[in-house]
Amino acid sequence: MSAGMVAVGLTVPVIGALMCAAPAATRPTVQFGVRVPREHAAAPVIRRERRAYYWRTAAIGACCTAAAAVAMQGYGSWWLITIIRMLLVAADLGCFWVARRKIVAAKNANEWFAGLRQTIVTDTSWRTDPPCFPVRWLIPALAVVAATATAGALRYPALPAHIAIGLSGPGHRPKSVVSAFSMVGGQLYVTILWTGLLVIIYRSRPDIEAADPAASTLRYRRFLATYTRALLTLIALVDVGLLLVALRDWQLVRLPGISSAVLAMLPFAAGVLLLAAVTIRAGQGGWRLNGNVRGLAKAAGAERDDDRFWKGGLLYVNRDDPGIMVGARFGIGWTFNFGNPTAWLVIAGIVAAPAGLAAIGAAAGM
Amino acid sequence: MLLSIEPDGPVPIYQQIRDRIVEAIALGRQPAGSPLPSTRQLAVDLGVNFHTVNKGYDLLRQEGLLRLGRKSGAVVRRDANSGPPDPGWALDWTGRLGTLLAEAAAQGMPATDIVRGCQAAMADFAFPAASQEAGNGSGSSP
Repeated sequence: MSAGMVAVGLTVPVIGALMCAAPAATRPTVQFGVRVPREHAAAPVIRRERRAYYWRTAAIGACCTAAAAVAMQGYGSWWLITIIRMLLVAADLGCFWVARRKIVAAKNANEWFAGLRQTIVTDTSWRTDPPCFPVRWLIPALAVVAATATAGALRYPALPAHIAIGLSGPGHRPKSVVSAFSMVGGQLYVTILWTGLLVIIYRSRPDIEAADPAASTLRYRRFLATYTRALLTLIALVDVGLLLVALRDWQLVRLPGISSAVLAMLPFAAGVLLLAAVTIRAGQGGWRLNGNVRGLAKAAGAERDDDRFWKGGLLYVNRDDPGIMVGARFGIGWTFNFGNPTAWLVIAGIVAAPAGLAAIGAAAGM
Repeated sequence: MLLSIEPDGPVPIYQQIRDRIVEAIALGRQPAGSPLPSTRQLAVDLGVNFHTVNKGYDLLRQEGLLRLGRKSGAVVRRDANSGPPDPGWALDWTGRLGTLLAEAAAQGMPATDIVRGCQAAMADFAFPAASQEAGNGSGSSP
């Protein structure tokens, strides 16, 4: 069993663990994609469904991990592990759907929002005194890209007519600028994509609580600053992984016994672990952080029941909302507003860019 | 400044935005010259249509409370320390106040309760020092 196969197989328990832990990171006022008033956040049905979700997803994760181990040892096929990974995600989403359906039923039957003053609160200081994007944390990623491009440019004249490149295994391709610098293209794509998304996130609506807006804005500021730094570190580590692959493709370093996929995967895994640790500690929007400052104004209203804009509790579709990205309802992070045409343009750009790179590679004979 | 609206309430959202900003100016939380988010930014933060915020800001601009510029954005134009209002505006406001007080009287609210309600509503307003003393002097014998 190769190291690459082990690395691919390990994605199954990691994804299973992240799916299992997702409800713990989500705000108490959003349970399985359902908005609930603060006073019902610990309702018996919610506690029961959370417990059931943890057990069900843990069992599914264990079974899928065992199946992946058998697939690795018995067959050694990548596509079988891909299928197991898809089955795992589908089964966990099924558990999410079961829990969500029961909470929605209890919420509607008991009219949890009846008589509550539903409000949307914003803190205008978010715009008049906006958080600064930590540009300095982007320097490591840019430095790695520049170092890779420089090393490639120096090495290019001495490269043989056919070079072994790519993440999926040794495949000899004719030497060209496109084939030799494919890893630099990958680095640029990852760096530009995630930096661009972070810039959109900085312009998006802060994920704040209506009942405690001033303190939750402070918490969100800290969450965003920490998350951004962790993500920019992850980008730098991904670029380092691609740099290692490129150095081997260019025969500048010899790393026998380690596949290109593992070379790229190791720094990426370290970055993902860092990001997961930071975000689980902070909770979605920073709700776990201590942001209580004496003297901050509290609001009298409850959160708005905005379930009608969330399809299946996961997809946000609101044509009236000019926001491109909003805080995710399940787990940690952000999601697109699929009711906003600009969001579709951004998604199209994200999909089109690698397709364009692949087309350039194909045209260059890769 | 915290801006709170009830999106599903009976008052239109643009009117709520206008009312909250007027209250913030009166309370001294948004003094003259202080910036407000642009229409687009506030629309994103509230998750409402851009035109809704534009309508609320336009009301404030017509009332002389807000200055909207392409470069400067939205800035509070005047507050309690900016001098007396235009005579025309004061006349219009007196008419609206009469209607508001008439609603209370028509509902059978005692005069003392109406005056007490007015005093409570004004308690936190950031009046200039001179007018505050004058207000306290006249308010002692309603």
